[in-house]
Amino acid sequence: MKFKFIGVALLCAFLMMNIVFTQFMVHQFYYENYINVLIFGGLNIVVFPLALYTYKKTKYEKA
Amino acid sequence: MPSDKNNKIPFNEDNYTHNIERNNERKLDRRGFMKTLVGAAGVFAISSLPWGMVAAKELMGLGEKEYPHKKITDVSKLAIGDAMNFKFPGDHDDAILIRLSEKKYVAYQNACTHLRCPVFWVKEEGEMICPCHHGKFDVETGVPTAGPPRRPLPEIQVKVENGAVYAVRVKRYEV
Ligand code: FES
Repeated sequence: MKFKFIGVALLCAFLMMNIVFTQFMVHQFYYENYINVLIFGGLNIVVFPLALYTYKKTKYEKA
Repeated sequence: MPSDKNNKIPFNEDNYTHNIERNNERKLDRRGFMKTLVGAAGVFAISSLPWGMVAAKELMGLGEKEYPHKKITDVSKLAIGDAMNFKFPGDHDDAILIRLSEKKYVAYQNACTHLRCPVFWVKEEGEMICPCHHGKFDVETGVPTAGPPRRPLPEIQVKVENGAVYAVRVKRYEV
């Protein structure tokens, strides 16, 4: 089993989440559902520390 | 980089891509790629901030979202079936007023809900059309009927008073 690319896969998943949240955020903004904007914006922001943590954990991972 | 080729121009080489140094190209290895992804997450996080800030501001001031009424035009200046552009509520918010019948006026903010191109009224087809990606909107409701837009155009309430048309407020989306 290769663990080398788990970090990459996780980070790709985070990027995907970022894209989805941003899409939602912008749409909810124009729909004037400002609470939802705050929720998705917040989610977008918490993904960053998660990504950083994942990177730190997996950068030395060997095959 | 001194080399024996320098003094013989053109030097004898039938490789037309000799300026590409394959071996010294920058490599994007796994870790570099991961760094890029983390950076992207950071960019997303930071770019969410202004949206959140504006949203929070709107949430706090939602009560007084009445704009001062604004005169758009005189009734006599707009024939039935015609449209005209105006600005509402701010000076940079383009809007369109369409006279559908003797008494019936509709107005929308005319920034297309796809990528904000100006939407215009095509009398012959009875539709509002966005030229950028062929979006179409229903005049009666502002709902998109074709093309990429997904959200209806924000409707502006108008009222007719003393032979003039006034913009009253921007309608909120019905949730
Ligand atoms: S901007 Fe109107 S359809 Fe794309």
